[in-house]
Amino acid sequence: MRPLTMPRDSIANGPPAVPVRAAPPMIAIQGVSQTFKTAGRKDHLAISDINLDIADGAFVSILGPSGCGKSTLLYIVGGFVAPTAGIVKVKDKAITGPGPDRGPVFQEFALFPWKTVLGNVIYGLRQQGVPRAEAEERGHKLLAMVGLKGYEAFYPKELSGGMKQRVAIARTLAYNPSVLLMDEPFGALDAHTRTRLQNDLLDIWERDRKTVLFVTHAVDEAVYLSDKVIVMSRSPGRIKKVVDIDLPRPRRRAELLLDVHYQKYVVDIERLIEDAPEDAVHP
Amino acid sequence: MSAVAGDGTATARIGISIAPFAPLLACLGLLAAWQIGALLLGTDSIPTALDALRAVPDILGDRSGLANILDSIRRMAIGLASAVVVSIPLGLAMGRVPAVASFFNPILMVTYPVPKAALMPVIMLWLGVGDLSKTLVIFLAVTLPIIYHSFEGAKAVEEKMIWSGAAMGMSRLQIMARIVLPAALPEILAGCRTGLVLALITMVTSEMIARKSGAGNILFNALDMGQYDTVFAMIIIIGALGIIFDAAFDRLRRALVAWSDTRQDIPLSFS
Ligand SMILES: Nc1ncnc2c1ncn2[C@@H]1O[C@H](COP(=O)(O)OP(=O)(O)OP(=O)(O)O)[C@@H](O)[C@H]1O
Ligand SMILES: [Mg+2]
Repeated sequence: MRPLTMPRDSIANGPPAVPVRAAPPMIAIQGVSQTFKTAGRKDHLAISDINLDIADGAFVSILGPSGCGKSTLLYIVGGFVAPTAGIVKVKDKAITGPGPDRGPVFQEFALFPWKTVLGNVIYGLRQQGVPRAEAEERGHKLLAMVGLKGYEAFYPKELSGGMKQRVAIARTLAYNPSVLLMDEPFGALDAHTRTRLQNDLLDIWERDRKTVLFVTHAVDEAVYLSDKVIVMSRSPGRIKKVVDIDLPRPRRRAELLLDVHYQKYVVDIERLIEDAPEDAVHP
Repeated sequence: MSAVAGDGTATARIGISIAPFAPLLACLGLLAAWQIGALLLGTDSIPTALDALRAVPDILGDRSGLANILDSIRRMAIGLASAVVVSIPLGLAMGRVPAVASFFNPILMVTYPVPKAALMPVIMLWLGVGDLSKTLVIFLAVTLPIIYHSFEGAKAVEEKMIWSGAAMGMSRLQIMARIVLPAALPEILAGCRTGLVLALITMVTSEMIARKSGAGNILFNALDMGQYDTVFAMIIIIGALGIIFDAAFDRLRRALVAWSDTRQDIPLSFS
């Protein structure tokens, strides 16, 4: 059995036995619960007592059945929603609201329709007082990186779903948050676009090792991308299992699909989610 | 106010050629119907369209006539502009801050059904029959639709969009100005368009009650003196003002919210 919460020392910190005081985790979720008050009905406990440490530079996915509170947890870490119990610390400091250290990418894209693609990407930079010329230069680079060169002057309504998602990712990367909070960012996309964006995301992550908290429904996606997969159970949402994904990086999708270790992770996690007795045994 | 160009596939083909002239055709049709109707009725109080049209240049050419009309337009512009300046921030705040909404909602609900021109006599008691009362009445008439539409527009702004702004480090005020305002702009402008029409109507009625100057002043004085040509010429002028203002506003609107427009004339160009 693996421990339910991640050890304080991360993959980056090497073997756990080293007696040096470990650096604080990038994100520490401590005793977080969320109860929604509903008119007429009983209060609804959406997530219950979540404890989770996420190391600097780690790629962590959250998996779980629909309605188990994955988005709720992500919104709490983002500071958009205040938890009814518990705290979230970023770099050892309790958060009090949203901040540019944590960049969200929402499933609904939430682009600014009155701004062009470039305007969307540089909105955060301009907000932070970066001069226009400098912001635009960075915007052009980011758009090239997500494969949208030439679409700078387009408006969101003129883009496909996959393109909008790319703009949303570039917009968040633009202000250089140390944590990326991604809520099923590829959920609405076709398989081909999803694969491409997964690879792009991995490339970006390999390059500047941001901490990523990634919510998804897709087990294969979680295993492919992550260092750790958090499996949640439903009603109320709790952490059921933390699975370390010990697959070498950089990962190549084509090789991975043939890798038995990869396949075993996928099958095991799928089983964990499906038949869901709380004490399901992981090898 | 603006005429609807041909729609549907059957009319699409002719829609192309007549679309730009459709408003003109509509006006001509209206005038023709009037002309025939007036000739058939033959009463004194309804002049023919041609007689009324002939009186238009007389009014516009006359120094005091023109000055009266410009007076009206000036009051309307001031009333409308100040209403816009007050109503948009108020409506947006109501849409995003529940406490503001629960404070102002009852006030607005009570004042909503009151015809604002009916307040004219009361306001005149305090402010006299001059510009101030009339401008105030226009202001009162116009605020409600703009507040209401700004309120609805702000309420409908996608929460994730606001969160995105907050994550960029915007303050609440900055989110209002840089996210809620632009996101709600199409809805706000719909309110402003209603406001524009109401401003024109209230402009005339306010001058009916406090006759001192203005387009309504000419109209109702002519009515009292039985100069029906002038009455109907004035109606034509006011109607023309409505069409001109509305068209100008629509151009402004298109320029401001081109990003949200699914342009109406695109399907026509396929046929
Ligand atoms: N604003 C809210 N008010 C009341 N209940 C809510 C609210 N937001 C979420 N919930 C409830 O909390 C639970 C968790 O919702 P959440 O959206 O976090 O689930 P999820 O795991 O992201 O689901 P999905 O995979 O379908 O996106 C659900 O039962 C939902 O009904
Ligand atoms: Mg969700």
